[in-house]
Amino acid sequence: MQSPPFDSAATQQAPEALRFEYVPRPGLFKITLINLVLNILTLSIYRFWGKTNVRKHIWSCIHINGEPLEYTGTAMELFKGFLFVFGLFIMPLVIINALLKLNYGNQSPIVFATNSLFGLFVYVMYGYAIYKARKYQLTRTLWRGIRGNLVGSAMTYSITYFGALLAKGASLGWATPVMNTVLHEQITNDMRFGDAAFKFKGRAGPLYPTYALCWFLVGVLSIFFIAWGVSLVAGNFEGLFEKTPSQKETLGILYGLAIIVLVVVVYFLLSPVVWSIYIAKEMRTFANYTRFDGAQFKLNATAGSIIWLTIGNVLILVFTLTFGWPFVQQRTFRYMAQRLELEGAIDIDRIQQSQAAIPTRGEGLADAFDVSAW
Amino acid sequence: MIETLATYFDGQSARNRTVHLRDDGDALSFSGPETPKTIWNIRGLHPIDAPTKGQPYRLTHDAKPGARLIITDEAFIQNLISHSNHLRGGYSMRDIANIFGWTVGGLGVCAALTYLAMWILPDRVAHVLPQSWREKTGTEMETTLSGGAKRCQTPAGEHALGTIVAALAEGTPSLPAVSIHVYDMPLVNAFAVSGGKIIVTRGLLDKAETAEEFTGVLAHEMGHVWHFHPEAQIVRLGGMEVLSSIFTGTNGGNATTNVAMLATVLRSSRAAEAEADQFANEALINAKIDPKGLRSFFEKIMKMEKDQGSNGAMLGEIGSIFSTHPGTEDRIKNIQLLPSGVVAKPVLTDQEWQALKKMCG
Repeated sequence: MQSPPFDSAATQQAPEALRFEYVPRPGLFKITLINLVLNILTLSIYRFWGKTNVRKHIWSCIHINGEPLEYTGTAMELFKGFLFVFGLFIMPLVIINALLKLNYGNQSPIVFATNSLFGLFVYVMYGYAIYKARKYQLTRTLWRGIRGNLVGSAMTYSITYFGALLAKGASLGWATPVMNTVLHEQITNDMRFGDAAFKFKGRAGPLYPTYALCWFLVGVLSIFFIAWGVSLVAGNFEGLFEKTPSQKETLGILYGLAIIVLVVVVYFLLSPVVWSIYIAKEMRTFANYTRFDGAQFKLNATAGSIIWLTIGNVLILVFTLTFGWPFVQQRTFRYMAQRLELEGAIDIDRIQQSQAAIPTRGEGLADAFDVSAW
Repeated sequence: MIETLATYFDGQSARNRTVHLRDDGDALSFSGPETPKTIWNIRGLHPIDAPTKGQPYRLTHDAKPGARLIITDEAFIQNLISHSNHLRGGYSMRDIANIFGWTVGGLGVCAALTYLAMWILPDRVAHVLPQSWREKTGTEMETTLSGGAKRCQTPAGEHALGTIVAALAEGTPSLPAVSIHVYDMPLVNAFAVSGGKIIVTRGLLDKAETAEEFTGVLAHEMGHVWHFHPEAQIVRLGGMEVLSSIFTGTNGGNATTNVAMLATVLRSSRAAEAEADQFANEALINAKIDPKGLRSFFEKIMKMEKDQGSNGAMLGEIGSIFSTHPGTEDRIKNIQLLPSGVVAKPVLTDQEWQALKKMCG
């Protein structure tokens, strides 16, 4: 074979615009099936290998300017993370709890207080788990040989996260746009690709009209359904005293069922649908607030597409008894890859590998708390 | 020798470099305008993904783990993997050994911990627990088991109980110190709880026809006290809860592990019953009290089991300490009677026995 000549122009690259693409590859179904079988055979210890294989697959389907992402994490790193958290937190907690129960009895206030403290610990460390998991995944994500990172403090993020939880609760949700902006700003400003930084700048103000709309819409819907439920009961209340006990019992069951159906309809169907409007707005806004090396992100997220994505994901999980989660992850990443744009050119060639430290094990706490990095 | 153009990322910069790539059979060599001549031996090469038709093939090397070589020339890829099998990707023997090793190792550790927590530790721990803990726990258990029922106390009844204990202690001087409390409860049962407390129900007093039958049951419960069975059982339950939380990653375990653990407890209590039976039998013989009483009481229990067995009431209304244990027949067979020539002593006078039976009115 003759050796082809060099195209000298190819090595002289000007700043270029970045295009995101999801290029599907076969193989995810096979990975899912193997996960299912081996998870059962190994009593779920295989999950670390399964997760790693799924990520390798999905990452490699996301192309930026024709070059795929690469997931370089290994199952052993996840397994070590699990063992670390298990040995350092879970096992001691369980043993302490059992000893206290043994000594003071199940109903003792000391046992209750200790359990509450453990619960508080989980909430305080929630943000830590998210931050560390995302840091692990970023440092295991390679594009053109360069890896990402999070260079800030996980504990600072965790404290902010906990504060945000309290503020959201105390304000009946109204602190959500502000707190989400603060959290997003913190973690995005810590994000690196090689030695290039992501920048997040923007106010929560523009999110409020949409937030208010959704908040009142959910409120009005709830009031409407409660009123409707009450009128239904009241309408049948006449003559209730003339009914036999068994008739009363049947009516009671019917009303009980009606109330359950109402709660399900409002909280699991209507409320998520309404809130999708806000979520889409927030995702678009945060993308607009984010810059990378002078270029600005843009995300084409709409309420309709998010509802569709969520319904599909829920159906997959329900009908596969959660074993279909790799496809849920695929759909979610594909959604982002297909709708994310970066406006402006970037001098990619200038980006150098960062010397910042990278973790040697990953996601132990996230695995224990069952939280996702994204 | 086969050659092509490839893309190279050196792992230091995001700049993509075009290189001239050559397959020398035992090594890949490449160089380009910005890339000095590099030689990667085949053995140190790793595929990032298994080669897929129509997709660029990506390689890295032990010598430079951050670097990536990307090949799109299909013929070059086919030739390369045809002489280097390990570049086909997929699970390596090492991956399989890892998964298998950790699984078997993990199960081994679980089994060892279970064995330790179920069979070794409870007995050891039970013997070294402080007396204050035993008594406190015993009082709690007594409150739970008696469930608010009235405690029966008459001077004559207490005296009769004291006489039985004294008779047994005469034969077995090392008899553990016990306190016996009678409760006005209809079920036929007796429990030994931690701290040397024995709880007896009115149902049991009603069911027992002779003082010897009742003494047999008491001696059996004293066997539990002697062997620290209630304490060991508490430790075992605590250990089970820890293990079940650890194995399942939940607080309190799931149905499968709980059933498995319950089975273990029942098994361990069968062994405990045999020990208590043996203790009772020896104590009765030493005190010259007729073990036939214990035997006839077992026979009554067996009859009750048969009556209720058809409703699957093994753990039902009888709720008897005896009923959780199979082989009542075996237990009857195992009871040794007094050696020939030894004359049985009556434990209580008829008057004392009647006073005891009427304790709850």
